[in-house]
Amino acid sequence: MTLVALQKIRDAVQQRPGEIEEEKRKGKIIVGWVGYLIPEEIIHALGLIPVRLGRGGDERLVELGARYISSQNCAFIRACMGMFAENTDPYIRGADAVAFDNACMQVYRLGEVSKYYCKKKTLFLGVPRDPASPSAQKYFRHEVEHFTQKLEDLAGKKVEPEELTGSIGLYQNIRAAICELYHFLDIGESPLNWKEVGEVVHAGYYLDKTNYFSLLQELLSEIRSLPVITAPNSNEVRIILSGSLIAPGDVKLSDLIEHVNGNIVSDDLWSGLNPSLNMHIDNPTIMGIADAYMNRIPHYTLPCLDKDNDIRFEHLKAAVLKTKAQGVIYHTIRYCDSATLKTTGLKNRLRKEGIPLLEIHTEYSGSDVEAIRTRVEAFFEILKFKDNPEVRV
Amino acid sequence: MDIGSLTTKSVILSDGAILGTSIIPTGIYPEKSGNEALGKALKSAKQDGKKPAYTIATGYGRISAPYADETVTEITCHAKGAYSLNPDVRTIIDMGGQDCKVIRMDESGNVTDFIMNDKCAAGTGRFLEVIASVFKVRLDSLGPMALQAEVSVPISSTCTVFAESEVISLLARGEKPENIIRGVHQAIAQRVTGMTVRVGVEDAILFSGGVAKNEGMKNALEEAFHKPVVIPGFDPQIIGALGAARIADNRHSQDVT
Repeated sequence: MTLVALQKIRDAVQQRPGEIEEEKRKGKIIVGWVGYLIPEEIIHALGLIPVRLGRGGDERLVELGARYISSQNCAFIRACMGMFAENTDPYIRGADAVAFDNACMQVYRLGEVSKYYCKKKTLFLGVPRDPASPSAQKYFRHEVEHFTQKLEDLAGKKVEPEELTGSIGLYQNIRAAICELYHFLDIGESPLNWKEVGEVVHAGYYLDKTNYFSLLQELLSEIRSLPVITAPNSNEVRIILSGSLIAPGDVKLSDLIEHVNGNIVSDDLWSGLNPSLNMHIDNPTIMGIADAYMNRIPHYTLPCLDKDNDIRFEHLKAAVLKTKAQGVIYHTIRYCDSATLKTTGLKNRLRKEGIPLLEIHTEYSGSDVEAIRTRVEAFFEILKFKDNPEVRV
Repeated sequence: MDIGSLTTKSVILSDGAILGTSIIPTGIYPEKSGNEALGKALKSAKQDGKKPAYTIATGYGRISAPYADETVTEITCHAKGAYSLNPDVRTIIDMGGQDCKVIRMDESGNVTDFIMNDKCAAGTGRFLEVIASVFKVRLDSLGPMALQAEVSVPISSTCTVFAESEVISLLARGEKPENIIRGVHQAIAQRVTGMTVRVGVEDAILFSGGVAKNEGMKNALEEAFHKPVVIPGFDPQIIGALGAARIADNRHSQDVT
């Protein structure tokens, strides 16, 4: 049975394109964005409407995008380019400006190519390649300051400290609510599965943030009021998803994992939990925001795995231990060079901790579904035999 | 039952002893092919018309085997089959009709890691079929022809379609077919060694699947790995089905006790 609040969130997402049109008619400015370190709080504080862009799962858009951007870019980037070229997605069509950061260089390239072909007003936010270096914070502060000036030009006003404080508080609350939603999932007390939690997270890409937070509170309240599920399925395999993003609409891998009795108990995805983790804006200023974004779990394209201080690896390891996941499925969307490059190093490091990792390379076409099914099933066979030697075949 | 993309294999086992086997081409209906292969294997086991006590289906067509008691992936089945033939095996290179996999296993015959080729026919039986058609020779002639080569002509394309074009160009240039075929085998072997970077290789290495019947491919793999490669003393094409039968035999024994 669908939770009442989940249905409300779905209804709100359905209605949002119409609301956006109405807001535009009233003179509101829409800022679409793609990236990991775009400080949404600043966009919100200026009275602009932030919308995170991009969808996955549609091979047709990938093909369309490939007419404009090289096929060596990942399927998500090509699909996004297809969306820009087609210009029927209500959020892309409605965006008065689009912001990109270069945490992922392919996202940056999408910004350049879409600007060239689609003539959208485009803003770029530079991201240092090594967030742990001493000069990184200085550089990023400067970038965020510059980015804010561009946004202020767009809004026709300056950021007011009170507005900024309010926006920061709202976003902190949203992130905390998402963390709580994931907490229910990882302790096995969530009536929602990972895919539904993802749907809720993705709803936040589009909805008015105040309304979104209110719906999140309603959802959490409903979950807390439900009786605790205490009988886990003993045949299920507990998995953490890692790797490239799984964008809204891309359900191939999660459906397949579920179909073969896998239970995704958490993720460390750019499109999932990670943006809500390790974000502490102690100082409610532009610089405070810049510092907090720089200190969040680094985007997977950034940290170098041969360093001992790889925060993302430590976070993934901690998540496996906390959730009692049996293994990690590392999803690489073709052709995400960063994800591919890091996999072997990550796999070897996790192996030392006794955590098995399966690599899945895929895109949005359905041609590899059976091949992926075989890989996932075989991985689950390994995990089941590892944990229960008595059922070894 | 191992219902592969090109062939369907069946092994009948009783108390650990192999009673019968069969290999037939997989038709367009995997369920029908499975039934036919099972019938043939039962006939060869002199158990005509009987129903096995426990059936495990594996291979890409395993989901189309309603008569099976259970399905297990070909990864696990190959490991079980190989281990039952040679407990020293730690790495399996399986080259089938439409995929190629490298499987790592522990001293108990359990899979510890594996890798499969991605969306590409290079390194598979299908690739060799295409090459055989270019030379207008039987598939089983490719191995002996490769062994007769005086030198190897490098093939740079790993894409099946482009490799076919490259081979045609090399023939037009006047290269000897045997030398080109050896180059083809070496290109496949190089691709397989590339796959193993992610899972590692440990002795003993067993070569299974239909392509393992090709002596030229075995030689090319040994050259590429700088290690001996073992061909099982049992039809290498049936290793997956043998593994499935071993698992079924175990399951049945557990059920009985």
